[in-house]
Amino acid sequence: MTTTPGSPETPEVLRPHAEQAYADELAALRAHDADTGRVRPPSWQLSPGAVTTYLLGGELPDGTHVSPKYVGSRRLVEIAVASLATDRALLLLGVPGTAKTWVGEHLAAAISGTSTLVVQGTAGTAEEALRYGWNYARLLAEGPSEAALVPSPVMRAMCTGALVRIEELTRIPADVQDALISILSEKTLPVPELDTEVQARPGFNVIATANNRDKGVNDLSSALKRRFNTVVLPLPDSVEQEVEIVRSRVSALGRSLDLPADLGAGDGAPSEIERVVTVFRELRSGSTLDRRTSLKSPSATLSTAEAISVMTNGLSLAAHFGDGVVRAADVAAGLVGAVVKDPVADAIVWQEYLETVVRDRPAWADLYRACRELG
Amino acid sequence: MTTSVLVPLGVRHHGPGSARAVRAALEELQPDLVVVEGCPELDPLVAHVADPGLVPPVAALVYAADDPRRAAFYPFAAFSPEWVALRWAVARDVPVRFADLPAVHQLAPEAPDDAGEDARPASYPDVIGTLARTAGYDDPERWWEDAVELPDAAGSVLDRFALLREAVTEVRDAHRAEHPEEDLENARREAAMRRVVRAALKEGHERVAFVCGAFHAPALHLPDFPAAAHDNRLLARLPRTKVAVTWVPWTHGRLRLASGYGAGVGSPGWYDHLFTWADRDRDGVVPAWMVAVARALRTAGIDAPPASLVEATRLADELAVMRCRPSAGLAELQDAVLTVLCEGSTLPLQLVEEQVVVGQRLGEVPEHVPMAPVAADLARQQRAVRLKPSASVTEAVLDLRTPNGRARSALLHRLRLLGIDWGTPVDAGRTTGTFKEAWRLQWDPGFAVALVDAGLRGTTVADAAARTVAEDAAAAPDLPALSDLVEACLLADLPAGLTAVVDALAERTTHQHDALALAESVGPLARTRRYGDVRGADTTRVAGLLGTVVVRASVGLRAACASLDDDAAARARRAMETCDEGVTLLDDAELRRPWQEALAILAADETVHGSVGGRANRLLLDAGVVVPSTAAERMARRLSPAAPAPAAAAWLDGFLAGDAAVLLHDDDLLRILDDWMAGTADVVFDDLLPLLRRTFARFSAAERRAVARGVGRGPARPGARSVALDVEAAAPVLAGVARLLGAPGVGGAVA
Repeated sequence: MTTTPGSPETPEVLRPHAEQAYADELAALRAHDADTGRVRPPSWQLSPGAVTTYLLGGELPDGTHVSPKYVGSRRLVEIAVASLATDRALLLLGVPGTAKTWVGEHLAAAISGTSTLVVQGTAGTAEEALRYGWNYARLLAEGPSEAALVPSPVMRAMCTGALVRIEELTRIPADVQDALISILSEKTLPVPELDTEVQARPGFNVIATANNRDKGVNDLSSALKRRFNTVVLPLPDSVEQEVEIVRSRVSALGRSLDLPADLGAGDGAPSEIERVVTVFRELRSGSTLDRRTSLKSPSATLSTAEAISVMTNGLSLAAHFGDGVVRAADVAAGLVGAVVKDPVADAIVWQEYLETVVRDRPAWADLYRACRELG
Repeated sequence: MTTSVLVPLGVRHHGPGSARAVRAALEELQPDLVVVEGCPELDPLVAHVADPGLVPPVAALVYAADDPRRAAFYPFAAFSPEWVALRWAVARDVPVRFADLPAVHQLAPEAPDDAGEDARPASYPDVIGTLARTAGYDDPERWWEDAVELPDAAGSVLDRFALLREAVTEVRDAHRAEHPEEDLENARREAAMRRVVRAALKEGHERVAFVCGAFHAPALHLPDFPAAAHDNRLLARLPRTKVAVTWVPWTHGRLRLASGYGAGVGSPGWYDHLFTWADRDRDGVVPAWMVAVARALRTAGIDAPPASLVEATRLADELAVMRCRPSAGLAELQDAVLTVLCEGSTLPLQLVEEQVVVGQRLGEVPEHVPMAPVAADLARQQRAVRLKPSASVTEAVLDLRTPNGRARSALLHRLRLLGIDWGTPVDAGRTTGTFKEAWRLQWDPGFAVALVDAGLRGTTVADAAARTVAEDAAAAPDLPALSDLVEACLLADLPAGLTAVVDALAERTTHQHDALALAESVGPLARTRRYGDVRGADTTRVAGLLGTVVVRASVGLRAACASLDDDAAARARRAMETCDEGVTLLDDAELRRPWQEALAILAADETVHGSVGGRANRLLLDAGVVVPSTAAERMARRLSPAAPAPAAAAWLDGFLAGDAAVLLHDDDLLRILDDWMAGTADVVFDDLLPLLRRTFARFSAAERRAVARGVGRGPARPGARSVALDVEAAAPVLAGVARLLGAPGVGGAVA
């Protein structure tokens, strides 16, 4: 992930917003839109085509390099942008670690110029977070008035014609979710206490993210589901792509944690990253990479994000307790821990995998031994 | 001759846009002869085209008369340009001819010295790909749709065909400049096409339209025709064989397969829709498609409300705009359906793919069309094995030791797999050998339908049966059904089918989470492995699969045997026995090791159900893995007073399981059992009695007597085992035995 230094006037923060970090790219894309005269939907900062370029990266005629924000299918990004352009709310679905929030943030930054209108969904999210609340001191002193009203991010987005993001929609209790239904279909938010209403300005829309493989979530009602266009963000397509994502993230994390370890291999043998990614991909897809042997899948998600944490863990073990090079023994514990989440069912899956696949790969003998030693 | 025109109409096979263009071109040209790409042997089939009983999708099938497996299909859908041309011509009484390299040469067996040509020439030019790249497209299919199929450009459609021909000529010339070596296959085919055209022109036809693949259009440009002698030289002395032709019903699903017209099409249903709607109402294409998709989804119980159809249509149009396409294509439609109607889930999308994008349409062929290839193959095989079909019932006993007997048996078994119960197996009577098979034979004319149906899966009885087995295997509900199929493959001598079934078994066993079900499948698999060799089947894959299954079953065995009630324990025990039987049958150390390790864990664990634990001990004792002293130790522990008596009885039942020999041969075990029985309280004994009775009732009367005698002898003391022999009474017997053995001295010594 490329980072451009924030604009000079912003004070240094741990993590700047997308629209701050990539202000130059957005400005260049806006200029390019103006040059080519491409049509922008009402209140959009960029044309749909430019938004797609912003997410997937590219080279503009004026020489500006647009860094790729999302590594993956162009088709999915096009569908997401086209959904927003047809005034439909967008639901980004996917297992943890598939860049849902990341894509949502960048879409909002590119389309509305701001990614700060966001509702973080939790089990405790109340209806006020989606509609409006009251400043009770003022309410008691002056009675109901516009001034006593505390608008939610959704209400503010309606007033300004911007995109609002709702994170982890499925964690919000079902009755609170229902508040969205009328907002999405009528595009108005009535305020009966003041006998008034807020009508959404053009450009208002909702991007929600949700986890489709998590426990303890509130499934969306079909009425709500119907109001969303659903885009499922998949895990990376190819081993190479995933290895590259893991390698770059692990190196970056290793640097920030000051871990002086070497990711290993490179002398023809498969590196630990490749093996971990291979194990993850095989178990999750239920078949070996050569498609010759079918496997059982464990209950764990085994996302790219988990592969990254297994590798970071291995890196840390190698740096502090090993010889500084990540070896099979360093990743084995993390690997087993990531796969075996249910001590009975997953243990069988893992043992089968170990005995029928790992054992038969001559180059994997060290990993097999390391995993066997862990029991 | 100078006034004659030949117009090559270069098309994309099965392209709906091409089909419409061809129709417009024929209207404009009004030819007096239509020539269609396809081997000339198909000419007699044109007579059937006007028959309303011939409903596309159908395929013209041409096959070598002596070996139907060498066959070529020319499929036609309603939206195929070739079919449109045929129908146009037949409706107007314009003669139609097919032109291509005759099938008598195409299907002739390769002469040995020709084998090198079999390989497809590496330098086959990718015409459409090159044109698409030139136009800046990365996907050739999309370019063709955007540039050739979709637009309804003004002006003469014939001019557009001429332009396309010139473009293809350029590509072919450029390719030839780079790859000067001759592409003999295409040169011959085009020479054959030109030969048909020359003959037609000589007969006096003046306006000839030639519907062919776009690639061949340049070769059919009349001014560029080479001398007739050149073409004749190319076609001289080719191998020949006898061929037969017929129409067969086809399906949209099969249009996807590569066939006589090159590569298949991926989305026949969509093309059909496009072809139907483009004529009626261009703007209706997308909404009507969404309605068709919604109907399919609703049939499957998935909500697809009209409001969502509106949104899906809008999204498809918006995507087309974003992707700079003239109108929404299949990719946009599928994306919109996935996002709006399927809520991002690809599962319903697969249904849409199967039902709507590909479609389930089945063509029809009228009755009077000549015989289907499977029927022809069956007739030939019936002659070969001298088994005549007859409507009356006859009995046949086959001797599997003779080649003819085996051939007959395989044929009857294969037909049964195809649902043609010409023969039904009956009891072969009391024979000790397995080489006899008795059948009751009766032919039913209704089988003809099944034969035509089988033609969809192959051109010979064997191919069709193998394919049927493969399909059945994919749809089999459980492991036992698959095991039956494995056996059927062996009986019907279908090695290809066996591969498919084993694949399905491999797949199914993997997703079988139940270690016991896995263990149950070991038995049939082991028998296949053991006896498949006898029938000459290749069972190495079975062996590999067996290894995996045994390992999996072994790994999961302990977990599967946790907290079982009596019924579940009985099932676990049966599974264990079948698996052990299979493992023992093969006697392979690779299989035995993990299995016996798993059994050992069970045997040593006192928390598993007694019936299972006892059985595990016994199996290991018989295999010699557990020594008798260990077994006795475990028995003593399980039968100790602290253990609940019913659990102890269950263990005993598992351990003894219908075979008392172990008690007779090991006094130690018998003593432990005796002590335990004597030590049980009367109240408990009453409860135990039925269980014990069940265990002991399985022994034969002689065994029960021997056990009782052993108990009656009282506790045996080690070293104090003395038997009082009545030598006197035994003397005559000993003398007799000695005489039989030819050792006269022994008898004397005893006496």
